[in-house]
Amino acid sequence: MAPPVRHNRPRVPRQFWYGLAAVVLVLGSIGLVAFSFYLVALDKDIRTRFAGVRWALPAQVFAAPLELYSGLNLDTGDLKHELERLGYRSSTALEGPGTFSLGKDRADIFIRAFHFWDGPRAESKISVKLAADGIAEVTDVGSGEPRDIVRMDPMLIGSIYPQQQGEDRVLVKLEEVPDLLREGLLAVEDKDFYDHFGISIRGVLRASFVNLRAGHTVQGASTVTQQLVRNFFLTLDRTWTRKFNEMFMSILLERHYSKNDILEAYFNEIYLGQDGNRAIHGFGLASWFYFNKPIGELRDHEVALLVGVVKGASYYNPRRNPVRAKARRDLVLRVFKERGLIDDAEMQSAIERPLSLAGSKQGGVERYPAFVDMVKRQLRGQYKDSDLTDEGLRIFTTLDPRAQEALERNISQGLAEIEKTKKLPAGTLESAGVVTSVGGGDILGVVGGRDVRYSGFNRALDSRRSIGSLAKPFVYLTALEQGDRYNLHTILEDEPIQLKLPTKQIWAPMNYDRKLHGPQPLYMALAQSYNLPTVRLGLEVGEKAVATTLKQAGYTSDPPLLPSMFLGAVDVAPVEVAQMFGTIAAGGFQSPLSSIREVTTKEGEPLNRYPIRVKQTLPEGPVYLITWAMTQVMRLGTGRSVYGVVPDELTLAGKSGTTDDLRDSWFSGFSGDRVAVIWVGRDDYKPMGLTGSTGALYIWSRLIKDLKVKSLDLIPPPDVEEQLADSITGLRADEGCQSRVLIPYLRGYAPQTWAPCAHAAESQPMQWLREIFQ
Amino acid sequence: MRTSARAVLVLLLGSLLAACASTSGERTTTWPDDVGRTIPAPTQPLPPPPRQPIPITPGTPGAGDPSLAMIPPPKSLPVYPKTADEISSQAVLSLMKQARTARAAGQYDQASGALERAQRIEPRNYFVWSALGRVYLDKKLYDNAESVAQKSNSLARGNVYAQLENWKVIAEARQAQGDAVGALQAQAKVDELQRNLAGG
Repeated sequence: MAPPVRHNRPRVPRQFWYGLAAVVLVLGSIGLVAFSFYLVALDKDIRTRFAGVRWALPAQVFAAPLELYSGLNLDTGDLKHELERLGYRSSTALEGPGTFSLGKDRADIFIRAFHFWDGPRAESKISVKLAADGIAEVTDVGSGEPRDIVRMDPMLIGSIYPQQQGEDRVLVKLEEVPDLLREGLLAVEDKDFYDHFGISIRGVLRASFVNLRAGHTVQGASTVTQQLVRNFFLTLDRTWTRKFNEMFMSILLERHYSKNDILEAYFNEIYLGQDGNRAIHGFGLASWFYFNKPIGELRDHEVALLVGVVKGASYYNPRRNPVRAKARRDLVLRVFKERGLIDDAEMQSAIERPLSLAGSKQGGVERYPAFVDMVKRQLRGQYKDSDLTDEGLRIFTTLDPRAQEALERNISQGLAEIEKTKKLPAGTLESAGVVTSVGGGDILGVVGGRDVRYSGFNRALDSRRSIGSLAKPFVYLTALEQGDRYNLHTILEDEPIQLKLPTKQIWAPMNYDRKLHGPQPLYMALAQSYNLPTVRLGLEVGEKAVATTLKQAGYTSDPPLLPSMFLGAVDVAPVEVAQMFGTIAAGGFQSPLSSIREVTTKEGEPLNRYPIRVKQTLPEGPVYLITWAMTQVMRLGTGRSVYGVVPDELTLAGKSGTTDDLRDSWFSGFSGDRVAVIWVGRDDYKPMGLTGSTGALYIWSRLIKDLKVKSLDLIPPPDVEEQLADSITGLRADEGCQSRVLIPYLRGYAPQTWAPCAHAAESQPMQWLREIFQ
Repeated sequence: MRTSARAVLVLLLGSLLAACASTSGERTTTWPDDVGRTIPAPTQPLPPPPRQPIPITPGTPGAGDPSLAMIPPPKSLPVYPKTADEISSQAVLSLMKQARTARAAGQYDQASGALERAQRIEPRNYFVWSALGRVYLDKKLYDNAESVAQKSNSLARGNVYAQLENWKVIAEARQAQGDAVGALQAQAKVDELQRNLAGG
């Protein structure tokens, strides 16, 4: 009769269940709404990021292309080096774009397609016939027809990326990705890519099984989509929230975009290496960074290395951890073979190959930091920073890799050799150098310091130092403009001078050798770089006039109007010295120096061209005279040691520069087609014991030799006439004079009086009498 | 009084000699059309010295002077290259041709681009500079067009054919910039050069 036990427990009222259900329902609905909001937000995020500008594309900076044509002074070695620098591969026969085969006096080249600023250029096969004096002929391999001129593709020398993030990439389209790379990557990273919906259950199970058996993580379960999302949107921290986000984002991404869109994005986004503070993203850039060639030219073992690096760009860094990277590469090659992508023989031959990385530790790109720095500065005035770092602009520059390389090599080697022979502590000297064209204002090469790869302080642009005797040509030029007062043989006194400066100090300059040399013809005073005649001459023409000449040549500041300016107490950066001497080299026509020729959009649409600009700023005749005097510097003055290095037939013009206590050693000069400036000194301004002739000229001479410059053509302009002068009196000479020299004069100002030694003077027996009355 | 006697002698002889010397100083040029002409003031540019082909400039000193009609016309034209073909490499000629085609199609950027490539190969080729001046004129870069034409004149070292084209460019550039006087002066040079050529 006892009531059933259950009666002991109070009965849950029905309402409670309804209530609970309601709460769950409400909470569930709220959760669902919240989750929907979350998904919608994620979805929006994905769509905006993926559909809009996907990547900030740094501007790409290209060197000037090499032009191949009959008559170009280029030997087999140069051509081979040129092609290798461009990442062309030597092979016995032309296998595809980017390959070449080299014979004894002939080179066949399969030139890559390239989109130049003035339009696309298709790939083509050419044959270059080489003779002793350079290229004899360029022909088309297919038709055998001669080709007048062929542009090689320009070398990619750097890119302009934001300083903080530093992501850099070269975009590739999926169809440009070689099959082996596409299929190989999926074989290694995501076998079920074309079957899953963003995440792969099978992949997770497989990875769990493998990892469980191994006892540690050997295989990741992330799909390519997940990896992309991770690279694209998320940080690398391993939290559950991140995993959660990643999973849903992957699913959403797959819902909106095709498999191929996702794969293409992956190929451009994935992180594949580090170059200083520049992050290498995408296979397009990685291909250049590791192998210095476009992605389409990668060979099996190179594809395998890049695929291998995906797993950990730092851990498998092939430059830093080559052994580890090779093991990984070979493993990847085996996977390729297992999947039937390559056969056994191909795998074996690929495994036998070394890593075959391009360039030094730094990698293939970012080779010329000082030059790229200059390009950036020139662009900065015209483009917004974000245009340069985001828009993928293509910048075609004036850099001549041959000139740049010669400059770098001679500065690095030269400094070491100078330190050794002069017994200076190794590594104390610094240097900077600039090479430009004559006439067009192209900057062909720039080195900002001894460590040519270092992108820090750029001495070529920023180190303004006293130019010493480099100022003298401008003093003498100022005088030579006054044809009625001065000519190249005007006798200048070499006598002591004492000047009271405005500061009440006494200034008593001396010659470098502290000697007096007696009266000197003007050109000889320049050639020997005597200070006293220069100061005397400078005082006669005046500081103001000399300052005007300096400015007309291209000096942009206001020099202090003191007599010391005649001896170069004027601070100038090497690049500006190149500008000033360039104006003389171009016969008085100044072309503002430029490092850029064209800028196009990433699609190749021209945005900006930089035409050659020219302005006559100095008179032609006097410029010719000073040029002639500067050739005498090289023939018999402070520059004469150059002829121990270059052949005698080469006519050059130049001037050495040395500053007080031997703190700065300069040499600046030009040939028919190149202007070169070298500075050597110490950053702490301490004396180093080198003159312009013992320091900078050493490097300059070797540089000029390596540049294969054209000789200076001394053709007098219409307002200049040449006449023999007796080297003692400077008067008109003929065969009768033992020592005579052919001197150019401004027309109408050559001395008409015969020198006593001249035969012609004999017909004027009382010549000396006439002179008394003149 | 030996000294004073000598001084007198010196004075006498000296003045004589000085007179002679001044005529010897007035050197005449060797060009057939310039017989008797004295060396002009240095401000007036003259043709280059004889190491270059000798140009003929009959009109320079007062072209309208009727006395010039007495001078027989020069026997032959100066041997200056008439076109780029005579001084340029095949590569440069090819680029100049590209430039002409582009210019004819109104593609001035392409045209100047090709000529700038040519200039880099032969920096002293005045025909290239001359063509460049013409294209810069098309591009309305008047200042630059004039300067480039002047540069060509300078490198041409008296080549009348190049100078004629350059002065035409200069005249047009000045006209376009509103420098009527400068344009007239340049046109006068054009006319003078044309007369010289016609005279030959």
